[in-house]
Amino acid sequence: MTKRTVAKGKLWDEIKHHRSIYAILIIPAVYYFIFKYLPIWNGQIAFKDFTALSGVMGSPWCGLKNFVDFFHSFYFWELLRNTLFYSFGKLLVSVPLSIILSVVLYESQRKYLRSIVQTLTYLPHFLSWVIMYGILLVLLAPGDGVVNDIIKACGGQPVPFLTDTKAFPWIVILSDAWKEMGWSAIIFIAALMAIDPSLYEAAMVEGATAFQRTMNITLPSIRPVIYMVVLLKLGTILDAGFNQMFMLYSVPVYSVGDIIDTWVYRQGLLEFQFSLATAVGIFKGIIGLLLITISNQLVKRMSDSSIL
Amino acid sequence: MTEMLKKLVVLITLAFSLIVPVFANGTQDTGKGKKLDPNAPVTIELWYGAAATEAGPPPADWGALKIIKDKFNINLKLTALPSAENDQDVKINAAGAGNALPDLFMVRRPVWQKLVQQGLIANVDDMYPQMPNRCKTHYTEDSITFTTINGKSYGLASPGAIAKNEGVLIRKDWLDKLGLKEPVTTEDYMNVMKAFTEKDPDGDGKADTYGYGAFIETNNYEEGLGRRMDPFFGAYGVAGTWNMTKANAGLNVLNPAYFDALSYVKQMVDNNVIDPNWLSYKKDDFRAAWKQGKFGIMREQNAAYAAAANYKPFDENFPNGSWIIANPPKGPDGKSAVGAFTTGYRIYAVSAKAAQAGKKAKIAQLLEWMSSDEGYYLLGWGVKDVNYKLDAKGVPTTKGLADPSKAFTAPEMIPLTQLKNMVYYNGAVEIAARYPAYTTAKSGKIMDPGDVLLMMQTKPWTNVIGSDTLPNPNADLKRFYEQGVLEFLTGKRQLTKDNWNAWIAEFKKVGGEQWNADGIKYAKDNNLLK
Amino acid sequence: MMPASDKFFHHCLDVFLVVTLIVVVIPLWSTITQSFRPNTFIGSNLEGMFLPPWKWSTAAYHALLGNNGFLLAFTNSLKILIFGVATSLLLTIPMAYCLSIKTLPGRKLLTIFVLLPYLFNVGLIPSYLVISGIGLTNHLAAIFLPSAISTYNCLIMRGFFEGIPEELKESARIDGAPEWYVLVRIILPLSKPIILTIGLYYGVSFWNDFLHAMLYLNENSLQPLPILLRNILIASGMNEFVEVNAFGDAPISAIKAASVFMSAIPMIIAYPFIQKYFTKGTLLGSVKG
Repeated sequence: MTKRTVAKGKLWDEIKHHRSIYAILIIPAVYYFIFKYLPIWNGQIAFKDFTALSGVMGSPWCGLKNFVDFFHSFYFWELLRNTLFYSFGKLLVSVPLSIILSVVLYESQRKYLRSIVQTLTYLPHFLSWVIMYGILLVLLAPGDGVVNDIIKACGGQPVPFLTDTKAFPWIVILSDAWKEMGWSAIIFIAALMAIDPSLYEAAMVEGATAFQRTMNITLPSIRPVIYMVVLLKLGTILDAGFNQMFMLYSVPVYSVGDIIDTWVYRQGLLEFQFSLATAVGIFKGIIGLLLITISNQLVKRMSDSSIL
Repeated sequence: MTEMLKKLVVLITLAFSLIVPVFANGTQDTGKGKKLDPNAPVTIELWYGAAATEAGPPPADWGALKIIKDKFNINLKLTALPSAENDQDVKINAAGAGNALPDLFMVRRPVWQKLVQQGLIANVDDMYPQMPNRCKTHYTEDSITFTTINGKSYGLASPGAIAKNEGVLIRKDWLDKLGLKEPVTTEDYMNVMKAFTEKDPDGDGKADTYGYGAFIETNNYEEGLGRRMDPFFGAYGVAGTWNMTKANAGLNVLNPAYFDALSYVKQMVDNNVIDPNWLSYKKDDFRAAWKQGKFGIMREQNAAYAAAANYKPFDENFPNGSWIIANPPKGPDGKSAVGAFTTGYRIYAVSAKAAQAGKKAKIAQLLEWMSSDEGYYLLGWGVKDVNYKLDAKGVPTTKGLADPSKAFTAPEMIPLTQLKNMVYYNGAVEIAARYPAYTTAKSGKIMDPGDVLLMMQTKPWTNVIGSDTLPNPNADLKRFYEQGVLEFLTGKRQLTKDNWNAWIAEFKKVGGEQWNADGIKYAKDNNLLK
Repeated sequence: MMPASDKFFHHCLDVFLVVTLIVVVIPLWSTITQSFRPNTFIGSNLEGMFLPPWKWSTAAYHALLGNNGFLLAFTNSLKILIFGVATSLLLTIPMAYCLSIKTLPGRKLLTIFVLLPYLFNVGLIPSYLVISGIGLTNHLAAIFLPSAISTYNCLIMRGFFEGIPEELKESARIDGAPEWYVLVRIILPLSKPIILTIGLYYGVSFWNDFLHAMLYLNENSLQPLPILLRNILIASGMNEFVEVNAFGDAPISAIKAASVFMSAIPMIIAYPFIQKYFTKGTLLGSVKG
């Protein structure tokens, strides 16, 4: 037998050996195909001039026209800038905060304080952005918001947080962190629970301080999860949080609040321009793919974990 | 191998037996273009706009459904459209994209136009002769013109909001306390607003009152800052999006007087006389604010102000408080207007699919019944002597009912009249029934929203009928317009003549010039200019 | 006893926890007090937060519970939750497990297969066309079936399965057990934390889903809670029927705040039970033993 047929034979053996795995895989794979890949097939309307009566197959091709329309639209660069700002901003603020929170909860020895904080921090996740807008209004309204009342009492000028273009971006990032910090920490806490306690015992025997133990054992142990979370977030970097922005933004802050998805909502969904909306979706996907591939290479070099 | 397979099969069957019952929920709409058996009941899917979305849909045993089934052999499937207008548009557009529009549905005009372009809406010209009664009250010649594109009518337009039903309201008790007269000119208004802000008109020792209160509420014929600020734009003759006079037709924003109006509002902002929350308010917040005595002048709708349920919180908080319906401010040229008014029709469209399935005749029967005495009262108020009684003048009222908890105004009974917008046509009986006079609980005043409405309608208004059929700007142009106007107000752009002209030049370049030209042409072609 | 730096370290932890507590509690408290605010309250929002409990009014909660549609919407949401989480876990666990087997031929391809749609979220209409084409319109399954496998959740779960020591799996395989046996009998009991976590993630997203419900559910009797709440929270477009007021005595802001808490109740009740499973070292005990 030649080397190639040996290798081929080995491959077939491996497949036979794992046949029960493939059996388990069938149903989820079929599901995935129907609900994830068929829509991608429908995504071809991005290259067509979609009309309802002609359907996906009958609509005429128009090449890259929808993409070009998007790139040449009046607000394109502003949308891109805003979207990237919020995505990276949230990444740089929310993820570290979640990690810190999970580590603090893990290391803290105050049982009651710990469980109270853990229970309360995950609650904001359940609030929809519709009610978050109301909460933020109560806190930040320029006329009688709680924060502005405090500022006025201290002799300052009230700040219109929600309608001022300088303050608004920070409100978006911070309110998102406030809402999601506790919930995102859950995944890190679950990872922390899986750390072998004997590692700590060994370190303590060697005289490591609590801080040293955290830096050298706790954090590195959850590194794979951190990479996973960050990589996945990078993959959707151009999804800057539609639900939040849609409730919070208003015309005075369009210039810093309009992101790609809110623009697509107004221009694509409300105006029956579905080809355009789909084209933008594909554009976002390509950028996300590029980012994930590049980041994955970087992560591979720095450690040996990889998403692929 | 077989052991494992067996167990796998059991697991899968178990999983699916859990899922199947969920699939069995709900019914599916049939009628995919098949010709109907004349004896089988016809299913009509109706997506309606609820009168009070927060109150829940009509119950499954609603009397009207049985009557419709028995009389016309129609299975009426009701779906309440979402409350927010944007949500309605998305739901309808998505259904359109999938060519799955319901048989009869309420739809806003800009969305409807696009659907007609896509060929998804049926021509309804042949339905009007089948609905003689309904045409008398609903489908007047004006209404048919509203839905006519290229000589054919593609929608059934019923009367919507009553025209001119808003007014400028001023706190009378605040005027009296500060010894001020009712303001007439824009200058007077500015002085009164300053006084309301600075001179503590509610006498509580706190600087917590403002002159004017508003929120941004725009639609396609009231662009820019929207209708709440229109009394000030009306003072300069630029209320509404479009100027519909033969002499000066075109977008108001391109009119030099618009700069003057905007400067006036900027002065209001600079003088701090407008409630600082006005840019962040949504409609409910604005309404809650005046009930808490935050500001003294506003433009509000007659029922939102004076109807029993709405006035009650204000009455409890300020039993000595009262509002007058004032004349809108007069500008330097003597012009004034509360705002711009159109006919406010509401379109119900029939899908092309329904027409192909031969359902138009049935839909016409259904709508005609709604305009019959039986349907009108049942959908509008409920069951006679249970939910309402007819008084001496034949007006439905809740006085004298055997069980007051079943009155049509009671919160639990509201679901029974969710479809009332399909039968109301703003007739005299309706107005008397909807806006009865009453005595307030705490202060013992007599309030009459019907009188308020009549008074509001006597004030000066700008007639822009037809402007809601003019071409709409695309989303980017709309954003440029609204954003620009607000940036001048918030100070992000300095409001000087030069800056303004530069912005107007850019506006024209981005598409404003074309939009203006398209609008004027359409208005001229359709004889809309006055 | 404890070195000085350790004491300082723990003080820092305490400070962080207290600050977090304050930052989280204040907005939550302002919402709670808002849900109990009576119609006659005049004052700033700051004052509203200090309103004493005897001045509170439960009118908002009464109005909501008396609302015709509330019980029906709640039941619909509960059905979606139960069937949704069950379906999601039944589909995600096998997928994640297969992805975690390092020796599987074609693993890289499979990972790409799973990852690709996550990136190419083609948007609303292509998915809508598939889901309505299958005929899921007007079925509660339309809410959870399209998102029954979330790539994010699947990959997180894969990460955990990868972390399970090989010795456990090998010992079972040596005994001749088929893969699915290894999965069910050995891996799953060890993975309680992650399964509960992912189940919770799915549960919350189904419970709060508004978009799918709005697009695919037409019949009034199928509307779940988020639709009802959104109709309450966002003022109706029907400007002309403002004379009808479904909520009588309670201010609309209180209704909004109250409706939010009522919708979050099942999750708030469920979480402490799930938290029980997150105790230190549960996983490790089985490896040692």
